[in-house]
Amino acid sequence: MRYFARRITFYVVTLWAAVSLNFILPRAIPGDPKQIYIDTLLRRNGELTPGMLNSIDLLFGSDDASLWDQYLAYWGNLFKGDFGTSVVYFPATVDQLLGEALPWTVGLVGLATIIAFLLGVGGGAWVGWKRGTWVDHIIPASTFLQAVPYFWLALVLISVFSVSLGWFPIVGGYDIFMFDNGPEWSWEFIGSVIYHGTLPAITIVLSAMGGWLLGMRNMMVSTLAEDYVTTAEAKGLRPLRVATTYATRNAVLPSVTGFGIALGFVVAGSVVMEQAFSYPGIGKLLFTAVQAKDYALMQGAFLVITVVVLAANFLMDLINGIIDPRTRNNG
Amino acid sequence: MIRSMARKRLLTVVALATGVTMFAAGCSSSGGEKNEGGGGESSRVLNVWAGTQTPMVANFNPYAPNPLHVTNGAIYEPLFFYNRAEAGDPSPRLGESYEWSEDGTELTIKIREGVKWTDGEPFTVEDVIFSFTNETAKRDYLNTAEKVDESTVKLTFNGAQFTTAVQILGTTLMVPEHIYKDVADKITFTNDEPVGTGPYVLDTISNATYTVVANEDYWGGAPKLKKVRYLALDKNQSAQDLLATGKIDWTTMFVADPGPITDKGQLSLLNNPQDPTTIMSCMNAALGCVGPQTDLAVREAVNLLLDRGEINDKAFSGHAAVASPSLALLGRDDRWISDEIEKESPQEANVAEADKVLTAAGYAKAADGIYEKGGQKLVIELISVEGWSDHNAAGDLIAQQGIDAGIQINHVKITQQEMSDARTAGNYQMMISGITGTSLDDPFAIYRQWLTTEYTTPVGETIEAGRFNFPRYSNPLVDDAVAAAAATNDEETKKEAYATVQKEIVRDLPYIALVVNPTMSFVNTKDYTGWPVEGDMYAFPPSWATISNGVILSQLESNS
Repeated sequence: MRYFARRITFYVVTLWAAVSLNFILPRAIPGDPKQIYIDTLLRRNGELTPGMLNSIDLLFGSDDASLWDQYLAYWGNLFKGDFGTSVVYFPATVDQLLGEALPWTVGLVGLATIIAFLLGVGGGAWVGWKRGTWVDHIIPASTFLQAVPYFWLALVLISVFSVSLGWFPIVGGYDIFMFDNGPEWSWEFIGSVIYHGTLPAITIVLSAMGGWLLGMRNMMVSTLAEDYVTTAEAKGLRPLRVATTYATRNAVLPSVTGFGIALGFVVAGSVVMEQAFSYPGIGKLLFTAVQAKDYALMQGAFLVITVVVLAANFLMDLINGIIDPRTRNNG
Repeated sequence: MIRSMARKRLLTVVALATGVTMFAAGCSSSGGEKNEGGGGESSRVLNVWAGTQTPMVANFNPYAPNPLHVTNGAIYEPLFFYNRAEAGDPSPRLGESYEWSEDGTELTIKIREGVKWTDGEPFTVEDVIFSFTNETAKRDYLNTAEKVDESTVKLTFNGAQFTTAVQILGTTLMVPEHIYKDVADKITFTNDEPVGTGPYVLDTISNATYTVVANEDYWGGAPKLKKVRYLALDKNQSAQDLLATGKIDWTTMFVADPGPITDKGQLSLLNNPQDPTTIMSCMNAALGCVGPQTDLAVREAVNLLLDRGEINDKAFSGHAAVASPSLALLGRDDRWISDEIEKESPQEANVAEADKVLTAAGYAKAADGIYEKGGQKLVIELISVEGWSDHNAAGDLIAQQGIDAGIQINHVKITQQEMSDARTAGNYQMMISGITGTSLDDPFAIYRQWLTTEYTTPVGETIEAGRFNFPRYSNPLVDDAVAAAAATNDEETKKEAYATVQKEIVRDLPYIALVVNPTMSFVNTKDYTGWPVEGDMYAFPPSWATISNGVILSQLESNS
């Protein structure tokens, strides 16, 4: 039990540090958000009426509170669940924006990560089992796909399959020309979501699978050299049983730990994917927020990501503590 | 036991994955043309991208800094419409006529009778007065707004306001008093159910799109186009892909090679260059600017060495227009451009003349072909914002053209923030900068906001938002001429004042005009008629333009 108490204390301190950093970092970036905002408006529209200027002045205000007061207010608001109001997407509140974006990111990136993991680990086990045969060629091929810059892969796939062939849609999480009222509970809508998620998911799977495949294959190869595998073979067990229950089960352990961490990062989304496909997720919000120096939105997004990554790590720690007693002693 | 469970689970996953793929394939054939919404009689829905990014946030409050595009013009209307695309008088919207007093301190406006808000209430003089005097809309220069009779209102000002006419009559939107008087915070109000007088009313909104439908009781007659859908997209590439596949009917963005988009015959390109792109120099040593560009001879030499034709071809793909050193817009503003200056910027480099100017100013060429004076090499730093690709390309070309003429121009790309800091604080030498600000056929706003002493500060002090005299230009002749132009409604007097301004700035070169920025709008001319066209530019065509968007939408008609 002491192990778990120590772990929990550790995570509480880490969380405090992360949340405080989240407060400091945006303020350490030089720049005046109001000026940036005006420049962006000018660049985009070339029109700035005195009325707009007046509104912008009122919106940004002049907040001269001391840093310490701001820090206290920040914590107070966090406990109230109030992340503030976004400037870019004024007057939407940050929690509203994050709440709308989260399901899309978690749904798509989460599913794609799981698929990539299953395909990668499954494939890796198979390739490792068949080591030394032609299937070894799958490794360089998949590593190549992973090495290709993701945005390039995404753009090429859009250009070929969406623009030229017209098989897949170009933008959005669903057919924006059809559902004027936004998401709804109908089979048509769900179908549209799956259809729109397919190509982005394929790009993520293609680029993420290689790592799992390579790692699993190498673990598999070294596990197959273990004595208990030789013993199992010597007992005359069927090859399939040796491969799955003896080799794969032991070889998959490091991948499972890695998977837990990967799931933590799902919430951060795939910034590039969401940009390329105009997908309405968190990564895109974060990107826009950083570009426009929208502190409130930036902090909100970072906070959610931090908390989820910490939670995923915590969970993996607990699971490791349960399945592998050795980690408990030197925790 | 474990094994068979695992296998079962795996099978499920595989089945699901295959199902997804098959489903997707099945969908692809039907996913395309379902453009007809539930609009009943309405034929085709016009799809517009006006630059909104996802997620779309409902905001139809004209007093918010960034309401959705349809708000200003298609839902709320001003009294008069000023067309910035062509010279001409303002046309009536909610106002019918107006009259200035002799000295410009009183304005009497006759409003249109019989107009109704979309909730059925009548539009009255009280609404007009409220729209001018509520605390959010009220301007410093307005003294009073009084009702004369049921359809006439009189505004009085603290000085001659001829030059702010466009703000009073053209961009002050009329809001319903019976709704807005109860709104405590008029800035953060989102106005989810807007009640306006314009040609369209809000229909649906989600975080990816919103739609508006025709206001059947519109004072100008029910619009023929029944439904319009505005999209939220994240980047130009997506918009370009959607244009290429015929899914967007109206958008405005820069496309270097518009051929593949317009070749299919569905979309046409309307290019309306409006705002000049210039080289701006921190040029006033008296206000603290430092560097070789404070020397007039150097600015003159840079002006002469530019090959503007090459800059337009390579940096703007040939879509930009010829700029006037007067900073007024050629064509639209011809009547305002003095005969005593060169109307058009030269399109070719004149290195020989640049040599002459520099030599006369005491510069001499060193062994490496770069001019120097007093042992000091002629090196200028030119900045542009990283990622603004037209500006970046122009900067690279200018650096090369500088070398050819013996001036070392170092082109440095910086972030938007750094650019903004540099120009408001005045610690830069030269930068590539657009000049914006005028919303009618008159360069007055540019002359006042970008060139007068009142709109600048010494280097080191930050120039306030809304003031743009970043070169720190200060010339009493220009100040007086601008003041004179502001106090008159007489075209001849104004022309004379502008001639003085133009003579001064063409000589002093606080801004070296490069080209006029292209504004490329793509419109679907196959399925819709009524767009502004070359020769009848009845409104400024960009999909993001305020006010004119409502004018254009109310003119459109679907062919199918």
